[in-house]
Amino acid sequence: MRIFNGLTLGAGLLATIVSIPAHAEDAAKVAAIVKGLDNPFFQTMQKGIEEQAKADGVGVTVQAAANMGDATGQADRLTAMALQDFDCYLVNPISVSNLVQALVPVAQKKKPIVNIDSTIDAEQAKAAGFAVSTYIGTDNVAAGALAGEEMLKLVPKGGKVALVAGIVGDVGSNARIKGFKQAVEGKLEVVVMVSADWDREKALTAATDILAAHPDLAGFFAANDIMALGVERAVQTSGKDVKVIGLDGIVDALKSVAAGELSATVAQYPYVVGAMGVEACKAAVKGKQLPAYVPAPVLLINKDNAEASLKNFPRPGGEYPDPLREMLK
Amino acid sequence: MSAVSPSSASDAIIACDGLSKHFGGVRAFTDVAFQARRGEVTAVIGDNGAGKSTLIRCLVGVHVPDAGSIVFDGREHPFSNPDGARKAGIETVHQNLALIDELTVAQNLFLNRELVRRIGPFAFLDRKAMKREARSMLSRLSINVPSINQRVRRLSGGQRQAISICRAVGSGAKLVVMDEPTAALGVQETANVEALIRRLREQSVSVILVSHNFDQVRRLSDQIWVMRAGKMAATVRASETSGNELVALVTGAA
Amino acid sequence: MSNPTNNAPAAHSAGAPEESRPSLSALLLDPSFWADWASVVGLVGLVIIFGIAQPVFLSVANLQALLLASAILVVLSIGQTFVVATSGIDLSLAAAVMFGAIVLGLVNAAGYGILIACVLAVLATSAIGFLNGLIITVGKIPDFVVTLGTLSAITGLGLILSGGEPTMVGSTFLLKLASGSFGPFGYPVWVAISAVIVAHIALYHTRFGVHLLATGGQTESAGALGIRTNRVKIAAYTISGFCAGIAAILLVARIGSAEPLINTSLLLNSVAAVVLGGVSLFGGRASILGPAIGALMLTALVNGLTLLSVSAFYQPLAVGAIVVLAALIMRYQK
Repeated sequence: MRIFNGLTLGAGLLATIVSIPAHAEDAAKVAAIVKGLDNPFFQTMQKGIEEQAKADGVGVTVQAAANMGDATGQADRLTAMALQDFDCYLVNPISVSNLVQALVPVAQKKKPIVNIDSTIDAEQAKAAGFAVSTYIGTDNVAAGALAGEEMLKLVPKGGKVALVAGIVGDVGSNARIKGFKQAVEGKLEVVVMVSADWDREKALTAATDILAAHPDLAGFFAANDIMALGVERAVQTSGKDVKVIGLDGIVDALKSVAAGELSATVAQYPYVVGAMGVEACKAAVKGKQLPAYVPAPVLLINKDNAEASLKNFPRPGGEYPDPLREMLK
Repeated sequence: MSAVSPSSASDAIIACDGLSKHFGGVRAFTDVAFQARRGEVTAVIGDNGAGKSTLIRCLVGVHVPDAGSIVFDGREHPFSNPDGARKAGIETVHQNLALIDELTVAQNLFLNRELVRRIGPFAFLDRKAMKREARSMLSRLSINVPSINQRVRRLSGGQRQAISICRAVGSGAKLVVMDEPTAALGVQETANVEALIRRLREQSVSVILVSHNFDQVRRLSDQIWVMRAGKMAATVRASETSGNELVALVTGAA
Repeated sequence: MSNPTNNAPAAHSAGAPEESRPSLSALLLDPSFWADWASVVGLVGLVIIFGIAQPVFLSVANLQALLLASAILVVLSIGQTFVVATSGIDLSLAAAVMFGAIVLGLVNAAGYGILIACVLAVLATSAIGFLNGLIITVGKIPDFVVTLGTLSAITGLGLILSGGEPTMVGSTFLLKLASGSFGPFGYPVWVAISAVIVAHIALYHTRFGVHLLATGGQTESAGALGIRTNRVKIAAYTISGFCAGIAAILLVARIGSAEPLINTSLLLNSVAAVVLGGVSLFGGRASILGPAIGALMLTALVNGLTLLSVSAFYQPLAVGAIVVLAALIMRYQK
């Protein structure tokens, strides 16, 4: 224990001697914490955060969890950043509650909290004594519905389709599947739904089995692009003409659509979500009142617009509504 | 010579009669009578495969004999496991399995019979008492080790053997069984361990010694039992025999 | 504790006999010294480097946060230490934490009190450990295979029980446990400190501790000397499971819900902390303070790199490099 006392004492001394250099410019400093960077989706989000920050003259530090299961590690990193002198916190939590406690000191310092992509549970936040300034994210149900509508155009009425979901119980996966089902309800027959844990190889295996079991299958919907690419590989191997639609809009999927392999994907723009997060932070630091919810754009990508999307990647292929940008003008 | 005559059974620490052990179809030994007197060093010799190791294992509870009786300290046993034999008072000094390398000398001496202090429902090691005891155990047998806090790994083979013997004796055992205690040792170390066994004899510790070194057996023991081809072939007083006679008995040339 | 020179664990693991105390320079040149003290040397080194590079690192608030963040890993490393001391390994540790959390969440959601939920969670994980030990000893199957099997089996069981859904645990008791503090430290830190003390006493001041090391050092010899090695091993795995249960409570308290997700870095880091703590993977040699400091060091590493705004990509690389380095040094321990 004595060692620790000594350390703490030494720490105090050092902290007083080496005072943190004051920032002359009034540029806002943003701390961002995203999910595991082992997924291109979050890499793109990070890119959006960093490029927007550069464009807006905002300082930003991006941290991430070690992997998608590292709920406590993500909280630890946020706790460390909460001690530093940031003006705004941009958070994309692994679960609805894992960052709640780490955000308490942030809220106590009255710094704005911008929640992106995955939501923080409002009740738990309230119990912990804070509320997020705004939530920016894509509507997964709407995205799934977009995929469903495209599927209706691609396959004959009453055709059989199979669904490939992510990890069992994942909120995002559930919402996407739900949206798709709502869109095709009564028009197509959903013959089977499997979970492939967001994994390409598992999706490939599952799709191979499904193709064997349902030789007359007309289409697949996978809850993300990685799995859709796995499914597409299984379809190619089988030599059948089965339509595959994914969701996310990652580069590989866009290329695949452009090459005529994947039929379509619904692009979400993690880049835009990240960028809008930075805009929200900038606005909040300026003292603007943020809307509680800002929907991020989703866009259906098929052969017609795949090339354009690729060219603009990771930005959308065209203009999109951005209330936050308006606010900053 | 071949007649085995158990003298008065009362001064025997362990005695067995009509003992047999088979492993499947393989006979280890049949109808063996054997005894060791209290306060003496009793040797068992024999060629490889004569059955002496199996006999000893039956005595210390590793094997259960198929037939025959074993009387230890005036009571009928056999023990069904080494732990039972140990609790009854038979300690074994194993050839290779005697000590734990990573533990200290003191820890090894008290392994599995540690001294504890009770505080409420909890029992904590009384390390001071164990160290004190360990020192006196070692000095009683004039065993030299650099430190009782030293890991056994760093000790020589002779020191290790001395400590395992000390451990067996120090446990308050009524009978100490040693299986080839000097088999793996050099000349000087063998001499040291032999000196230790002689001290045990002076202190009237009952010892059963298994060895194939006839000279050593004659030097150290009081009574010698000879096994041959699964039978007890003979028993002689060590003082009344010669090396040549022992060789003859072991090989069956007599 | 009254007699610090007497076989104190520090003197123990340093392995220096009291008669021949080597000179300081000889000590510093001896690789086994570095192996035994890897975690302490590493921690001190990190504190100095991070302290200079980023003064916030040494702020009281950050040190408190760091200790808080390390509590779960410290508790898990202790459990892993008991198993590794028997020359085994518990690969199901992180999965057991997940399972304990699920049990806690479901029992709580079913309307039973939070204390009952916590007790049942610990019982469940202890039972997993007991089962591991039983299969390994009685079934005579390698620890690696058994705990790998358990890892998968209880992952599945956790998913089945939870339906793959996270369960909210809005307990004020747990919230207090996670965010309250006594003296300079938060409650989870005190839990970890208590675990360290109890484990240290169990390892160095009880018969069980000696028998554990004997079993790990030479199982056959220990058996020949009458130690019931199977029981000792089963006890070690049960302790590991128990620690997983405590960690599960701390985890649920920290993140506010029971998630059917396994944090693989907890498992890897628990083994890493044990290695950094100078515990021999071949069994027979162990300390509690070493792995606890190892856990602290791994947490400090991530904390410091975060404060220095080092990308998350480099953090696992740094952890891996340090663990492999420690393992290399360990080779010189003998």
